[in-house]
Amino acid sequence: MKNEEKPEEKSFRSRLQRYRPLARYLGNRFGVYLFTLWASLSLAFILFRFMPGNPMAMSVTQLQSNAGLIVGADKAAEYYREKMGLNEPLHIQYLKFLKNMIFGPFDFGHSFVKYPTPVNEVIGRYLPWTLGLFTTSVILAWILGTAIGALLGWMRRSRFASWAIVLTTLINITPIYVLAVFLLLGLSYKLGWLPSGRPYDAQMMPSWKWPFIKSVLIHAILPVGTMVLVWSSGWILGMRSLMVSVLGEDYLAYARAKGLSPLTILKEYAFRNALLPQVAGLAIVLGMSLNGAYIIEIIFRIPGLGTLFANAAALRDFNTMMGLLVFSAFTVLTGSLIVDLAMPLFDPRIRRSDA
Amino acid sequence: MRNPKLLIGGLLFLGLLIFALAGPTIAKSRTKLKDPLQISAYTPYQAVSDEIPIGSDQLGRDAMAVFLYGMRLSLGVGFVAGIVGTLLGVLVGFVAGFVGGNTDTILRVLTDMFLVVPTLPLLMVLSISVDKWDLLTIGLLLGLFSWPFVARTVRAQVFSLSQRPFVDLARLNNENSLEIIVQELIPGLLPYIFLSVSGAAVGAMLAEAGLQILGIGSGNLATLGYLMAKAMGAGALGGGFAGQVLLPAGYLTLTFLCLNLINMGLDEQFNPRLQTTAHGE
Repeated sequence: MKNEEKPEEKSFRSRLQRYRPLARYLGNRFGVYLFTLWASLSLAFILFRFMPGNPMAMSVTQLQSNAGLIVGADKAAEYYREKMGLNEPLHIQYLKFLKNMIFGPFDFGHSFVKYPTPVNEVIGRYLPWTLGLFTTSVILAWILGTAIGALLGWMRRSRFASWAIVLTTLINITPIYVLAVFLLLGLSYKLGWLPSGRPYDAQMMPSWKWPFIKSVLIHAILPVGTMVLVWSSGWILGMRSLMVSVLGEDYLAYARAKGLSPLTILKEYAFRNALLPQVAGLAIVLGMSLNGAYIIEIIFRIPGLGTLFANAAALRDFNTMMGLLVFSAFTVLTGSLIVDLAMPLFDPRIRRSDA
Repeated sequence: MRNPKLLIGGLLFLGLLIFALAGPTIAKSRTKLKDPLQISAYTPYQAVSDEIPIGSDQLGRDAMAVFLYGMRLSLGVGFVAGIVGTLLGVLVGFVAGFVGGNTDTILRVLTDMFLVVPTLPLLMVLSISVDKWDLLTIGLLLGLFSWPFVARTVRAQVFSLSQRPFVDLARLNNENSLEIIVQELIPGLLPYIFLSVSGAAVGAMLAEAGLQILGIGSGNLATLGYLMAKAMGAGALGGGFAGQVLLPAGYLTLTFLCLNLINMGLDEQFNPRLQTTAHGE
């Protein structure tokens, strides 16, 4: 299409025409996003309504064992059932649930445990930790992994590269919590280089002042380091094998025969083509990374969503759990949507394909 | 077997398996107690001694005995989940790849949805509603979440296999779909099916230990993850009980290493694309 363009044809219409594949791609992707989001919302609804063992009964038992409230527990449960609309027919409940999700937005009602506080507010308090640590680690791991993988692929014949690959494979198959434990034990307990088990110094109050920020950063080295180490190893292995297979392609032989400098070949020919699956992979890996981040939070005692989830699960705080379930799905789905929407920037074939 | 990765991985895994199966016998032989897992035989988190080389757990059991019994349970969870996940994944992948068309599109969107959504929160919610936390239930639950990757690989394989000339030939020979599936497609898929079993098993064992660390699980099923998580929660790392974390962690990591070696070996043996890159350089 590019070659056929003549200056007089560059009308608005033809320009619009060029973006049709792009528009179709973006539309498709957004449609799947909305559908998946709706499906996970519905799944969350179904899960909590059909869960074996009545959540309300469990909460009442919990309440009784915690507060010793025995008289009138049934009445209290009935009051809450009525208040939360659990006595209405199921389809009305579902529609109300969807309404609260869309127009609330994401209104999950009150937390059972921290009663009058809305679930949203509770999540909001824990969210910055998860978002900060998780996002930083995912991005750092991806950049580092892709760069190192490309280099290792480029020097695929050297002895150093093959040893590096063995080491990376070892790190990659080590479970994230095992690595966390080893690093904690070594760097924190044995050597005492880094602090552990706290998000920041115990004596400090959260504020936007430098000493506090510094403390947070120092305490974040171990958890972020663990996540980056494990996740980047996956990207290194992926990028390396992509590079190796791209380097064997005919157009690279052609580029070499043309006498292009190795740097140009690496940057413009090999790296660019190997990059695409890496970007696409990021969208898929986000969900699994969040799983890992939750576990890391527990091990390093960071007050993020994973910790909140574990607490809510232990206390059977169903509203909070539902909120967290939807919220995790929302974060990961939106993250992968953003990655997929950015794909055309890396892949000109999506932007203008003749197909 | 010419492939060293397959050989080393297989032999090591066999060793780990025998160790796990012999675990209870070893535990019985090295204690005077009638039941090696007797609760309150010691005070909880009693210091390390010759009798209890890695201390006691929070229920006052000999942690070494818990470890020796736990290996079997962890492998069992992985095995059940691996089989369940693979069966589901092969089914979905097979239908998608073989039938094609709209069915394929729908199944692919479904698979991608399951791939993207974070499974751990979902698993947490599901597992706290499980009232009987035993090996079969938990294996089944974890298996339900490990099929999407299997479905993806199998779909791609079935799709590519069913485009090959020998399948056309079989069609021309008037073989029906079932004959084509059993005679022409399944043999080509076998290495991938084994690959999925071990892949799904690794994923499930990882997830099970993850759930334990998040505080979900029960003493009924004292897996390696359980021992590790409880010890970590009690501050075992700083308190001289590091063995209770390191021993199960080491066993799990070694198991993953073996299964990965086996997978890599299988991949090299059966994936023609890898063979050309390995020899063509």
